[in-house]
Amino acid sequence: MGNLEKYKQQFKENFMVEEEDLPNLKYQDIPNWDSVGHMALMAGLEDTFEIEMDIDDIIDFASFEFGKTILEKYSITME
Amino acid sequence: MEGWQKQKLEGVVIPMKNLSNLPVEVLVGGELETVDSTPLRPYSGEAVSFLSELSTLLLKSPASRTYPDIAGFAYWIRKANLARLSRSFESENFRVGRGLVLHIAPGNVAVNFAFSLAFGLLAGNANIVRIPDVNHPQTSIICDQMNVLLKKDLHRRIASMIRIIKYPRQDEITSKLSKICHARILWGGDATITNLRAIQTSPRCVDICFADRYSICVMSADAIIMANPQVINTLVSGFYNDVFLLDQNACSSPHLIIWRGDSKSVLFAQNKFWQAMKAFLDTKPPPSVIQAVDKYSHLCKTAILLSGSKSNLEQANGIYRLTLEELPHNISQYRGQYGFFIETTDNDLSSLETIVDERYQTVTCFGVESQEVIDKVIEKGLTGIDRVVPVGKALDIGVIWDGFDMIGSLSRIISKN
Repeated sequence: MGNLEKYKQQFKENFMVEEEDLPNLKYQDIPNWDSVGHMALMAGLEDTFEIEMDIDDIIDFASFEFGKTILEKYSITME
Repeated sequence: MEGWQKQKLEGVVIPMKNLSNLPVEVLVGGELETVDSTPLRPYSGEAVSFLSELSTLLLKSPASRTYPDIAGFAYWIRKANLARLSRSFESENFRVGRGLVLHIAPGNVAVNFAFSLAFGLLAGNANIVRIPDVNHPQTSIICDQMNVLLKKDLHRRIASMIRIIKYPRQDEITSKLSKICHARILWGGDATITNLRAIQTSPRCVDICFADRYSICVMSADAIIMANPQVINTLVSGFYNDVFLLDQNACSSPHLIIWRGDSKSVLFAQNKFWQAMKAFLDTKPPPSVIQAVDKYSHLCKTAILLSGSKSNLEQANGIYRLTLEELPHNISQYRGQYGFFIETTDNDLSSLETIVDERYQTVTCFGVESQEVIDKVIEKGLTGIDRVVPVGKALDIGVIWDGFDMIGSLSRIISKN
């Protein structure tokens, strides 16, 4: 599975959303992406990509799109 | 056969005969007398592997949505955080766990038994955790997931180091357990702690006590006045986490708010803050009827007891506020739950010198520099206040709790000098 697939998988698994819901998805847009959901997503991404995210990045991670930018800081490129 | 099992056969392990037939209910782990108190090193692979797998299980379970405190615990024990903590744990010394730790968990915060256990494990110890009689759903949820994991071969070593038990409060049982452990972590009100400390332990047993603590919030009126809606929203959301997630029961939840500024600015800031807070609360589930009644009667009781108090009642059962011109030195006795706050205006924070004693734990700040409060504690020689953090971070757990370095205190150094 490529990085982009793994990335999408985390969103789909944690938030029970479909592929088409992903592009515009933002924090607190849906009930599942509340602060608890956010914790689960962050932990899932850290595990999947074997990284440790900075607290500032965890706070700034506000959307599906922007999250990709953040992961690039950890050398995770979406392909 | 693993090394440690061979050692057992060669008779190196402490016999636990005096633990057999103790009338306790075991919630997690095997029988009490088969606990293996052979210590591991701090942040052992076994402990980290178990806790990080538990983290994943808990975060994936629907229960963590109903109980955010479970999510908070699971989030803290996740692999990335444990890796970070392990790295920043001082490495100049050679350390190993102390052996067996007895935990007496508190009744007021459901997940603290789990944090306590995590500290014990991460420091390299076997753990007997006594859960209180209060039935928190979070307790059985976490215990159930632990039991699922501990069946796995991978976690066999850790399984021998965890016993979570329940027994009706009985000094005789606590006494037997206290005599065989190498450390105790005691949680509770002042009376409970005093009682537990009176129970004899072995001469080298280390006690770490978490007694009654009291926490406050310090906010700058000017900062509130100047804050844009987004900043205010972040602030009330953080304040909500500090207070309402655990119904103001956690010892780091603020009960007193000290406003810095002149009286006019403070009044303006208070209105702005509490209006935003109320709007935020309206988006959350309403308090139960019992909570509302409890809060109101507490307000009336307190208003009568504190002379010169001006009470300010919020209409919608969301927040109760009591404003005082001057704080009596024993203000920490007047705390409520579920959203009850005492407020005062104090431009130079001099009231801290009057009121702060060893009970005081956390100060959360907005618009006031943490360093300023820390400097005050040191310069004025205050005997309380262990943490100064921004609003929203009151419940964040590190490994320094109440001034104790948990992993450091629960492990021992083998010195080369």
